[in-house]
Amino acid sequence: MSEPPGDLQPVAQPDGGWQRLDARMLLVGPVRTLWQLLLPALVTLFGIGRATSDMPNWLIPIVLLGPIALGTLPWLTTRYRITESQFEKHSGLLNKQRLVAPLDRVRSVDLEASVLHRVMGLTKVQVGTGVDSTRIVLDSLSHSQAEQLRLTLLAASARRTTGPTTQSATAPGAEQPGAEQPGAEQPDPRQPAAPEVALGGVPTAPFSVPPTTSSPQLLATLDWSWLRFAPFSLTRLAVVLGAIGAFLQLGDNLRLITQDRVGAALHWVIGFAIPVLLVVGSVAALAGWVVLAMAGYALQWWDLRLVREAGTVRMTAGLLATRSTTVEESRIRGVQLSEPLLLRMVKGAELAALATGVGSGGVSKLLPPCPRSVAEQVGQSLLDAGPALRIPVIGHGPRARRRCHVQAQLRGLLLTAVLLAAPLYLNPQWWRWGAAAYALVIVAAVIAAELTFANLGHALTPRHLVSRYGATVRTRVALERQGIIGWVLDQSFFQRRAGLADLRATTAAGAEQVVIRNVPYAVAVALADQATPGMLTPWVGAPSGRHRR
Amino acid sequence: MVVPDAVALREPAHRVSPRAVAYWRVSSLLSLLVIVAVATAVYLFWHPWPWYALAGTGALLVWELVNLAVMPTLRYRIHRWEVTPIAIYTQSGWLNRNQRIAPLSRVQTVDTREGALMRLFSLSSITVTTASAAGPVVIDCLDRDTARQVVAELTEITGASEGDAT
Repeated sequence: MSEPPGDLQPVAQPDGGWQRLDARMLLVGPVRTLWQLLLPALVTLFGIGRATSDMPNWLIPIVLLGPIALGTLPWLTTRYRITESQFEKHSGLLNKQRLVAPLDRVRSVDLEASVLHRVMGLTKVQVGTGVDSTRIVLDSLSHSQAEQLRLTLLAASARRTTGPTTQSATAPGAEQPGAEQPGAEQPDPRQPAAPEVALGGVPTAPFSVPPTTSSPQLLATLDWSWLRFAPFSLTRLAVVLGAIGAFLQLGDNLRLITQDRVGAALHWVIGFAIPVLLVVGSVAALAGWVVLAMAGYALQWWDLRLVREAGTVRMTAGLLATRSTTVEESRIRGVQLSEPLLLRMVKGAELAALATGVGSGGVSKLLPPCPRSVAEQVGQSLLDAGPALRIPVIGHGPRARRRCHVQAQLRGLLLTAVLLAAPLYLNPQWWRWGAAAYALVIVAAVIAAELTFANLGHALTPRHLVSRYGATVRTRVALERQGIIGWVLDQSFFQRRAGLADLRATTAAGAEQVVIRNVPYAVAVALADQATPGMLTPWVGAPSGRHRR
Repeated sequence: MVVPDAVALREPAHRVSPRAVAYWRVSSLLSLLVIVAVATAVYLFWHPWPWYALAGTGALLVWELVNLAVMPTLRYRIHRWEVTPIAIYTQSGWLNRNQRIAPLSRVQTVDTREGALMRLFSLSSITVTTASAAGPVVIDCLDRDTARQVVAELTEITGASEGDAT
């Protein structure tokens, strides 16, 4: 991350232009550290209190004052500044850290505010650069300061970005930093003052594909009917189950759940007819899930706005905790449309952008679970109206299907062996159960293989390479062909025998590669050759034509 | 899309250094010796071995013997490389096959590496990276002089181009 300061120029300001984080962090930092330490502290208090006689008195000031000191450190030690050519941040007390990012390397700026931040009027800023996946974090600035920083950084980046990497079709309105008032009086970045969002020409439908202009263009807003998709998205379920698990754990620590109470509950339960209880229980669980999922969805995606302005794409959302992601449009190398099995049944989909230096692993969520058609349309407008999200994909043929089945069965066998080896070794008389379980695994593997094969495919449009894959989560990735910076053709021993290959298009954006699995070798070569004309040309030919030195 | 039936990637033009065979063989021999030594040491402290330990060690030994006897020649036959003004192309692997192509205009770094054992054989490996973590192109075990030439050539070409498509 620390690039040699090649063109570092002395800055004119007397203090070198250095700025600190917002002073309110002196309050927020300690509070947050205390909050983070609350659970361990409670457990320690209770634990020690129960196990030994009582906590030594000298520990109390450490438990209380330690977090306060720790919490103020970031404010005391962090400084940042913007010079002519770069963005710098210094931080750390013992391990000094100096981050320098050239301004033309700034790819994305994210603003994030937790509930605590919102109450205090603060915003956390994360700056993504194309260099690697680490991002420069400023935690936190005031709302207006953060918004100002976002505009300055992106304007500077857009101005300095020249040369072959910029897409001509979507050339950022480089000299247009003032599409939104960079004024310090803006209270809330989620609600830009009315005149700036000139949406007069845009119909009420949340999407439309007019040519790029420098005036803000609203790509999508939250439609409350999308709430119906919330229960079908299971990613939140993991969070909920995790929370329940943590609660049980805590209950265990605090001895809320004791042998007596469990016994009493069991007696109470057995008093009822068990089937009735099961039905009521599952209905209650389902209803609870629906309510939780919808509430979570609403909290996370409240007031969603996906806006394209001045060569950037910006997503803002959130009710209590807010976040905003701004990515340079020329850095968006593709989009990813994913349809988990449940969501697919109700014709829903999620949309994410592939870019450099954004989100988690280069994939930045743009839309929540929403109707597939909306996701497609928004994605399409990001891909400059390319057909990459609608075009039917080309399947990989019978050999690929056989390969899917073999791979699924091998995986099933391995899984069964690993899980059942120890129990069966200890209790050989359980072999019937083992055999039954393996029969189930075989059936599941057949289904998984069929799903995998059905979803497997690729396509090529004039500007994009499309790969579709996945068994349960059907994912379609469209990658800009100009963003492809290399190819990898992998053939395992068995793939060579079947004449198949895994083709990877490497790229700087997203997961850094787009994989097309189990594609016939000749198709893979032809596809790569067509997608990036010239790159492979010297080597494409008849398979027999070898020449050696 | 029309797919011609008999389209394939030709193999890259050049082989790696012939001394690579000896190098691979010696390193296989070394790892075989290490495994034998460890197995003997364990056996001295703890025996008799149960069947699964015997089977595991046996399988490991067989694999190492294959590595020693078959792998170097097979690998030498498959490992190939070629650099054109446009792109770098390598092929590697011996059971599995791996072909990598990167356009020189997207190259970010060119590294060479010589392990201690490689230096004994005057061998040198070149790693060419692009902006994608998935795409490093490695030419294993080149003749040292050839490697130097190739690196000079690569840096000259890549220095002339701009942009890395990030």
